[in-house]
Amino acid sequence: MKRERVILVFLAALVLAACGTTSSSGGGGNAYAGKTIKLGAILSITGAGGVYGPQSRDGMKLAVDQINKSGGVNGAMIDLTVNDDASLKAQSAQLAQTMIQQDQDLALLGPTLSNSAVGVHPLAESLKTPILAVSTTGIHIVPDCNYPDETPCKYVFRDSLGEQTAIPDNIMAYAQDAHPKTGVLLVAQDDKFSSDGGTIVQKTVDQYGIQLLKVIKFSKTEADLSPYVTQAVQLKPDVIFITSLGAIPAKIMTEARNEGWTGQFLGGNGFNTATVSKQAGAAGKGARSASAWYIGNTFASNADFVNAYRAAYSKDPDQFAAQGYTGIKIIADAAKRANLTFTDLAGDRDKLRAALETVNIDTPLGPFQFTSTHDVKQTVWIIQMDGAGGFTLVHEIKPS
Amino acid sequence: MGQQVLNAIFIGSIYALFAVGYTLVFGVLDILNLAHSAVFMLGAAITYSLVVNYHQSFAVACVLGIASCAVMGLVIEYICLRPLRRRRAPPIAALISTIGLALIIVAAVEQGRQGSIFSWLWVDGANSVSFPSGTVPNPTWHVGGLTLEATKVAIVPVTVALMLVLGYFIRFTQFGRGLRAVAENPRAASLMGLDVDRMITLTVVLSSALGGAAGILFGLAISDISPYIGRDNLEIRGLAVIVLGGMGSIPGAVAGGYLLGAIEVLALVVFGSNVRAGVAFAALFLMLVLRPQGLFGAQVHERL
Repeated sequence: MKRERVILVFLAALVLAACGTTSSSGGGGNAYAGKTIKLGAILSITGAGGVYGPQSRDGMKLAVDQINKSGGVNGAMIDLTVNDDASLKAQSAQLAQTMIQQDQDLALLGPTLSNSAVGVHPLAESLKTPILAVSTTGIHIVPDCNYPDETPCKYVFRDSLGEQTAIPDNIMAYAQDAHPKTGVLLVAQDDKFSSDGGTIVQKTVDQYGIQLLKVIKFSKTEADLSPYVTQAVQLKPDVIFITSLGAIPAKIMTEARNEGWTGQFLGGNGFNTATVSKQAGAAGKGARSASAWYIGNTFASNADFVNAYRAAYSKDPDQFAAQGYTGIKIIADAAKRANLTFTDLAGDRDKLRAALETVNIDTPLGPFQFTSTHDVKQTVWIIQMDGAGGFTLVHEIKPS
Repeated sequence: MGQQVLNAIFIGSIYALFAVGYTLVFGVLDILNLAHSAVFMLGAAITYSLVVNYHQSFAVACVLGIASCAVMGLVIEYICLRPLRRRRAPPIAALISTIGLALIIVAAVEQGRQGSIFSWLWVDGANSVSFPSGTVPNPTWHVGGLTLEATKVAIVPVTVALMLVLGYFIRFTQFGRGLRAVAENPRAASLMGLDVDRMITLTVVLSSALGGAAGILFGLAISDISPYIGRDNLEIRGLAVIVLGGMGSIPGAVAGGYLLGAIEVLALVVFGSNVRAGVAFAALFLMLVLRPQGLFGAQVHERL
């Protein structure tokens, strides 16, 4: 009898030990159960960035719903708060401060615009809070968020494909296909995203033997862009590069086609929404850009996302929805492996930051990892407008 | 260069159309109605929604769009202007109240998405949209190396016709004479038996209807309809135009519109795109220094 008791105690100890091992390898399952992972997103729901922010929000909420319905992150539920910065830099930074210090969010996502990121990201870095950019594509987002100080920021990550990768890839692909000789750049000079894109075009074209005949700068508040387009068209370039946001690319394409120009449009992230393709219509047919995402990809992680998004919102997702959705999946994966304590916020933020560096998951964007500089490492999809409000895939460029 | 001259004329017409509504209210009330840019946007947005979401013909949509803007004129008068006038508030108070209304209108439209409480008005949120092709016939002609797009060409005669009708209305009708009397001296006009409040209401309604019509033409010709077209694209330039032309002068607003369009395009061609806006506003500054009353401004005491 005594021996049986000893064996029972031994077996019970073994079971407990096994549970302990499981929970530590799975990220502290017991510690997570019943807890809440507080995340905050700063998005531009209104204002100029309102073209992109709502889709990011919808993508994020879909991911949160899916994760919570399937048991959460090791049993912890994600609580996502989305705040609208109205596309204003100052408001964006103010929100970030509140969410980090007052709301005590574990991590942040956003902001929507690169213009606002230059205020928000250094703040998150100084307050040692992980922040994941889900749509910003400008220069000096990662790793040098405190530019001109080039010290790499430790807490800032990005899942959106930077223009520094996208624009050169797009130009390279078209140069290999069609060997253009001349180009004109039309760039909105009063917007960080657009002017950064223009800078990248100017630095890239020489490598592919394209002579830039003229750089035409304009303000994004111009009522009518015809005078600028006329100037570009009269130079008879093979390519017109457009780096701008919102309705501007479509307006330029329409005007250039009306003036009889038949060359190739190449652009940046500003092309990558169905809204722009729809607005450009037939004038945009064939306009190429490099995208972080392509709706027609049939691999499971994308097909599942597209189907779930359509079921939830009765419309197609776009790149911004895919990046927002991916952002939540990335943070959830890192949180799962981070052994969070839920008692030491500063410590948990550090653990999450470290875990983010080793994310390696399948997402709607394709297989996803961060580079050593916290930038996105993913396949680049070269897409072109189909003239009817959609896109077709032209090339697929694997990460080097 | 020929194409750029055409561009200058087209853009000048848009500036002129927008600025006339501004200057009409300023001429009568001595205040700037900064809700005008929001009404301009509303004209385009409502007409677009009627065509695309409610499947109305463009003509019906235009009439309803302009009528809605006229009603918005009533809202401006009864909410933003008249209560302040009754309290003898300074003009700056009315300026601020119209800014407030403009912000509310723009915010309401940008909140308009499927499922939102404003989806009856607008469903495209912050997005820019354009009328579907075929809404109005829009052939493009290529003549002697020049490109002429029908919707842009149409803006010029429409602008001129509207200005002529408005000019006739103000110069030769009973209402116009009353309007000029109120603009000259509201107290004296009131003592002469004129219903000043009614005249002011009609002015704001007329100005808003014109603003709505301008918005519709802008949406057609520029293919850009979004909550921000008035505020971002035209508000400041509209102010520049009425300063150039002479505050409160309708012929001045028309001339100022074409002048600003010409200066901007000329600056682009001669000096390049980097300095275009700078040159245009330097010209404005010069005008203020040399002729503060503007091209058609009131050295003469008669207004409008």
